[in-house]
Amino acid sequence: MYWLASGLLYRRVVSPFTKLDPRIKLLIAIEFFVLSLLASSVIGVAIIIASIVAVAAFARSLRRVGRTVAFSLIFATFIFVLNLWIGLGLLRSLTFALRFIAIIGSTSIFFITTSPDELEQIMKWMRIPRDVVFAFVTAVRFIPVVMLDAFQIMDAQKSRGLELEKGGLLSRVRNLIPVLIPLVVNSVIRSGELAEAMESRGYGSTPKPTSLYGMRLRWYDKAVLVLSLAVFVLALYIYHFYTFPF
Amino acid sequence: MASKGPEVPLLSVEGLSFSYLDSPRAALTDVNLKINRGEIVILAGQSGCGKSTLLRCVNGLIPHMYPGDYKGRIVVDGDVVAETPMGKLAQMVGFLFQNPENQIFMFSVERDIAFGLENQGLPRQEMRRRVDEVMGLLHIEPLALRPPHELSDGQKQRVALAGIIAMRPNLVILDEPTSLLDPKTASELVSLVSKLNKELGITFVIVEHRLELLTPIADRIVVMDKGRVVMEGTPTEVLTNPASSTHGLAIPPVFSLYSELAERGSRLPRAPLTPEEMAQELNAP
Ligand SMILES: Nc1ncnc2c1ncn2[C@@H]1O[C@H](COP(=O)(O)OP(=O)(O)OP(=O)(O)O)[C@@H](O)[C@H]1O
Ligand SMILES: [Mg+2]
Repeated sequence: MYWLASGLLYRRVVSPFTKLDPRIKLLIAIEFFVLSLLASSVIGVAIIIASIVAVAAFARSLRRVGRTVAFSLIFATFIFVLNLWIGLGLLRSLTFALRFIAIIGSTSIFFITTSPDELEQIMKWMRIPRDVVFAFVTAVRFIPVVMLDAFQIMDAQKSRGLELEKGGLLSRVRNLIPVLIPLVVNSVIRSGELAEAMESRGYGSTPKPTSLYGMRLRWYDKAVLVLSLAVFVLALYIYHFYTFPF
Repeated sequence: MASKGPEVPLLSVEGLSFSYLDSPRAALTDVNLKINRGEIVILAGQSGCGKSTLLRCVNGLIPHMYPGDYKGRIVVDGDVVAETPMGKLAQMVGFLFQNPENQIFMFSVERDIAFGLENQGLPRQEMRRRVDEVMGLLHIEPLALRPPHELSDGQKQRVALAGIIAMRPNLVILDEPTSLLDPKTASELVSLVSKLNKELGITFVIVEHRLELLTPIADRIVVMDKGRVVMEGTPTEVLTNPASSTHGLAIPPVFSLYSELAERGSRLPRAPLTPEEMAQELNAP
């Protein structure tokens, strides 16, 4: 179970892709996303997925992207079977299923290669109010902490004889109460302490807070920007004027 | 700001009483206390006697964040706390809390250290300079880019302290900062406090139950009981006074041994503060 919480933790990876300006990473993800939505052939979607995999490799995040994609395979299979069942035919069902994988891949490439810090900068760049941004940052920061807290409480209650996996659905839900109550209490205490610490460090004391980090497009970012736009336009062109055999 | 002679205390609590909103009992009753620049003061007393409440009053969380019945006043560095905005107080009084986890907001150590400076709106180069300086001072440069979940509790506490020191406060208050740390990490934090006191002249008020951790570096102990200040003096004065144990203090063995010896008529030439000092005194001809 612990892997689930640790999977949510951001890992710093240094790679040619991760060190791009976050806006460029977002753009590339959006381009992949749009292309996945447009692609209407098995080959077309397959090429997109292959490109996503290539980018993931470039970002040294193949394993983490692969893990999300593997997870989405369950749903993709479901989509495939469902479409086949309603009579869409093998190729179209396969396209739909693959498209789903491509969409998941394109989003996960962004979230896996972008640090919470960079997400925050993008949000600020989009002029989202600071309190909203900070609430988001705190949520991302503490969700894994609270999850680990939950597992610790579960272990503690299990060692005191709580049997979480016993009984029917109703009693299983009821069994969760001794876990949920301490979890809620802990979280309330935690949020009180966080509020105190924020106030003590002057949060909200000036209407114009600054940031240690900033986003700046370097020549490298600009080159990738131009390249990715060129590839994107080319892909749109191919999509428009060329039909894949299947 | 008024001119400050050397005799003007950095912190002065004058007739302070406070009860939390909707609480029948007063958490603080007529507290008077003066703390001078450069002092290290231990705030001791049983659980629930009002130590945390007093610290909240010192940095302005009370009354700015916690409403309640507030009487008397606190002056820090010439400013009356209740009339000074939290943002300004944050720069004058740093507050290190017990739980290191809940004081780190950002995803890298250096960014978290800059948190208070960002809130202040300092320009980026100035923040960079201060962050690097503080990381050097606290020997945490190698952690600069680490996310919080890759830090030990002791490292987190150090990072939280760095974030406070970066704001250049004159006074730093610590509420049971070591209670979640192992003994070795705890004593490292204590050495750090001593270093910051000596090198930067920062004044410290520390709530701590394990008195023996701090008595070697503390100038004074203030003992509270049921919301009042009941004893005050140097560690030796307070801890060799039989009254101190009635207020629920855990007297470190060095001091109880010293009192015991004195009672039996063998007064040591100098009251020791650590077991090592005591051994020296006992071995002296
Ligand atoms: N937020 C609050 N709201 C209402 N009452 C509070 C609040 N915080 C503390 N109190 C009460 O105020 C009194 C003093 O509490 P305080 O936390 O200051 O004690 P303390 O000396 O810090 O104790 P400890 O050693 O356990 O931390 C207690 O009676 C406590 O129940
Ligand atoms: Mg307390």
